[in-house]
Amino acid sequence: MESVMDQVMATVLDADVLPPRYLNEQLRELMARGESVVVQNPRSRHNLGVALPGPGQVTFKGSVGYYCGGLSNGGVVEITGNAGWGIGESMARGLIRVRGSVGQSVGASLRGGTIVVEGDAGPRAGVAQKGGVVVVGGSIGFLSGFMAQRGKLIALGDAADGVGDSLYEGNIFVAGRIHGLGIDAVIARPTAEEVDDIEAIVAEVGFPLKPREWKQVIAGRKLWYFDKREGQTWLKV
Amino acid sequence: MCGIGGIKLTEPGPIGEELVRMMTALRHRGTDSTGFALYGPWREDRLIARLRVAEREILDATLKAIEGELQKAGGRFLGPPTWDSAERAQDAFVRLEVTPNVDVERVTAAWIALGGVEVHSFGHSLEIIKDVGDALTVAERHGIRRFVGTHGLGHCRLATETDVDVAHGHPFWARPFPDVSIVHNGQITNYYKSRRLLEQSGYQFSSDNDSELISVLLADQMKHGKTFEEALRYSLTALDGVFTYLLSIPEGIGLAKDRLAIKPMISAETNRAVVMATEEQAIRQVLREEINTKSYGQGEVVIWARQDG
Repeated sequence: MESVMDQVMATVLDADVLPPRYLNEQLRELMARGESVVVQNPRSRHNLGVALPGPGQVTFKGSVGYYCGGLSNGGVVEITGNAGWGIGESMARGLIRVRGSVGQSVGASLRGGTIVVEGDAGPRAGVAQKGGVVVVGGSIGFLSGFMAQRGKLIALGDAADGVGDSLYEGNIFVAGRIHGLGIDAVIARPTAEEVDDIEAIVAEVGFPLKPREWKQVIAGRKLWYFDKREGQTWLKV
Repeated sequence: MCGIGGIKLTEPGPIGEELVRMMTALRHRGTDSTGFALYGPWREDRLIARLRVAEREILDATLKAIEGELQKAGGRFLGPPTWDSAERAQDAFVRLEVTPNVDVERVTAAWIALGGVEVHSFGHSLEIIKDVGDALTVAERHGIRRFVGTHGLGHCRLATETDVDVAHGHPFWARPFPDVSIVHNGQITNYYKSRRLLEQSGYQFSSDNDSELISVLLADQMKHGKTFEEALRYSLTALDGVFTYLLSIPEGIGLAKDRLAIKPMISAETNRAVVMATEEQAIRQVLREEINTKSYGQGEVVIWARQDG
């Protein structure tokens, strides 16, 4: 997968020199005008590229810290290294692509848009997701999809223990092994249409198509209504 | 919050400078106090003690009393005491080199009983230096940057449960075990129960901080035959609460993380060093090149230590 930025003339901002607040202001202005920006030396700093507008695009050359791309309302974000906690948190629109791996809570409370992680995702991927799509090329960590309400969390690799704990209507699709389900999560076999839909998303974001054994994790709905006869379910934490 | 970090070098090097840079990068996680556990060259023929004397005005008299208590325990100073050069400060931070033939707990208890004395560490290699303020403030007053050694820990504190003062800052020494130290991010909820059990076995605590408990609990387990790794694993069930901590011994550093894994920990390794911290940006201050990092999950135990030790 070639960098989207490589052929484009881009404005360069240096995160070693510009404080995050000023860098973000510049970034918003440039991206709102539809420009392409390259940020050098991010060095895993937090809050870079927060609340971005479309239609521009930005490439972070290296790794970013917490909340990159969070609260965004458009734009294309590429990170050539890793990302820390809460990448794309509460994003409404836009596309984020991480070439490396991400820390905890990728796409937390995501409302719309797409987040693509080429490596692995840490714990609580897609926690409280409310829309949009998160596609992880590797594995997703402990308690992923916790309390997700809507949207799709797709893992091409394995899911660690506790996946889909206390789910609402979020949809989790796992191609690899599921190491353990969360409370009230059940495994369903996706319909042919759902599989087509997932594979179309996976192909569109650039992962190679190959035979995959999709499992879907959905809510068992036992936690949706309180029933004192099932009190034990509530105490299994 | 709180930020923790550690570094272990392949060859002895400027761990002081590197830990200061790391703790500066984690400054936003807490500036109530900052501290360092530094492991210099091993000195079989002596113990280094790090103390804080609350009243600088009576430092000479206090040092005489300290020497007196040491002599009563059969020890003596190896060379004159040294202390920080902050002339206008109220307190003084003292470094002592003493003969290793003493009962460390007896001496520690006797010094504390003098009043206005805190004992921060004892070790053939370990020196704990901690003070209120951020990393730059502490580094400047205590000359942390000049320290050369094999490995060390750092901590910047956002106080949540106990006092904002030097005694409750991290790192903690596993009193009375020389050369064992800890930095911890989290809260231990079965603190009082575990502390009472350890006190019944004769241990004394120098603070009311729950993190001190972890170091003593694990050092006690190692004293009773558990390996470093077994002791760390034991903590996963013995401790209730939230924790990601780094425990250090002369051979290296160990990490343990509780089963809900909410407090982060990242590490990266090159030929020169292995570096671990709460946030990746602290690692990037030491390993500037883009290299891959590793994060740790629920119930994980990791050891970065010499195997021969």
